[in-house]
Amino acid sequence: MGLSDLNLRVLIPYLPVLGWGALRTLEVSALAIALSFPLGLVGALMRLSDNRLARSIATVYVEVVRNIPLLVVLYILFLVLPLYGIPINALTAGVLGLAINSTAFTIEIIRAGFAAIPPGQYEAARSLGLHRLQMLRLVIVPQVFRIVLPTLGNQIVSVVLGSAVASIIGVSELTYQTQSIGSSTFRYFELFTITALFYIACVQAISLLWRLLTGRAAHAPLGT
Amino acid sequence: MLASGHLANYLLLLLKGLTITLELSLGSLVLGSLGGMVLGAMRSSGWRALRAIALVYIEAVRSIPFVILLFFVFFAVPLALHIDIPPYPAAIAALSVHCSAYMGEVVRSGIESIPKGQWEAAASLGLPYYRIMRHIVLPQALRVMIPPTIGVYVSTIKESSLASVIGFVELLGQGMAIREANSLRNTADVLVAVAFGYFVICFSLSQLGRYLEHRTTHDLQPAVEPSRGAIVRPLVAGRPETQAAAMR
Repeated sequence: MGLSDLNLRVLIPYLPVLGWGALRTLEVSALAIALSFPLGLVGALMRLSDNRLARSIATVYVEVVRNIPLLVVLYILFLVLPLYGIPINALTAGVLGLAINSTAFTIEIIRAGFAAIPPGQYEAARSLGLHRLQMLRLVIVPQVFRIVLPTLGNQIVSVVLGSAVASIIGVSELTYQTQSIGSSTFRYFELFTITALFYIACVQAISLLWRLLTGRAAHAPLGT
Repeated sequence: MLASGHLANYLLLLLKGLTITLELSLGSLVLGSLGGMVLGAMRSSGWRALRAIALVYIEAVRSIPFVILLFFVFFAVPLALHIDIPPYPAAIAALSVHCSAYMGEVVRSGIESIPKGQWEAAASLGLPYYRIMRHIVLPQALRVMIPPTIGVYVSTIKESSLASVIGFVELLGQGMAIREANSLRNTADVLVAVAFGYFVICFSLSQLGRYLEHRTTHDLQPAVEPSRGAIVRPLVAGRPETQAAAMR
């Protein structure tokens, strides 16, 4: 096969399979994000807490996970957990691995958001007599959220891109389906082009949607 | 030779894998950084066509999973062009493309972080473009570029583990081969050792980055705020101070 005999028509019967793969990609990503964003907030609060143990646990977690490839994390979950009597299927391992990975980055994003809040906000909240939890809930966290929204959008994008790695342990998402159709039709060029275009469209759509959804909040003025 | 299940027997093999990972990463980082400089210069050039080409390249590569990029180079390009691409060059090529797109973005924002006044002042002294770049813009921009560059390098090194999937035996590939070949299959040892190998490489690089950042911003008043923000334009625009964390 050369560039001259590109043939998209042979791929028509496979389009539904690719579609299901794309849905699986979005499903896996959505689950991983739904897990990692709340955990990221908890982790960020741990990193900033006065409790030394909580701080060290969160710091070690972030440093370890951020410096290990996602694929290694997935292999460890998928191949090693069953050895200790914990049965795990590819989908669960994929979602869990992506969530573990994404949580580490989310902790850093949210921590940076807290660092961007001027100390005056804490002092003002204290002087109003708010106790710690009230201060966080009413004054600090809402502002942190507005600050980190754009960066969280990037994190969503990077989870979607990362979900392609889960194909390697056998999660039947888009990259997996592309690869498996490719190995039976040898139409790798057309297939990977279609898949790449899907990812590009998906990423651009997420960026746009996220901007539309969060634009007002992200650009509202903050306290000083 | 592979009869015993003891990890110590395979440490040498894993170390060899580690050096191959380092070699693969180093080659890709050098090529990717060179490409990134060209792309960054194109992005901030006065020619619209150059800007557009660089923008499309950067945005496209940053929106495609690295796995797809790698598979495209390894499976699709050889079929389309009737050539044979072995795993090693395929991995280097894909990693360089990946790294260059992200570096292009780092270089662009580094250059753009230098206030216009510096360009104007230099130009009014009669300096030509490349001398403004070399003597005025780049020395200041490099300082701002250190943290995001380290981020891109770490992520490229981590992505290099995917080369094992196309059959290139680097650190992870070596680990998987050892697992497959013998009784270590039923233990966590090898994979944990592999993870530790990546951790050592990436963590040391991050620490080096922190040291360099500290050294270069400590006693100098930079032209721009050296915070990790403001550096790289993310896919979603937002307040600069929070974008740094997303860079790794």
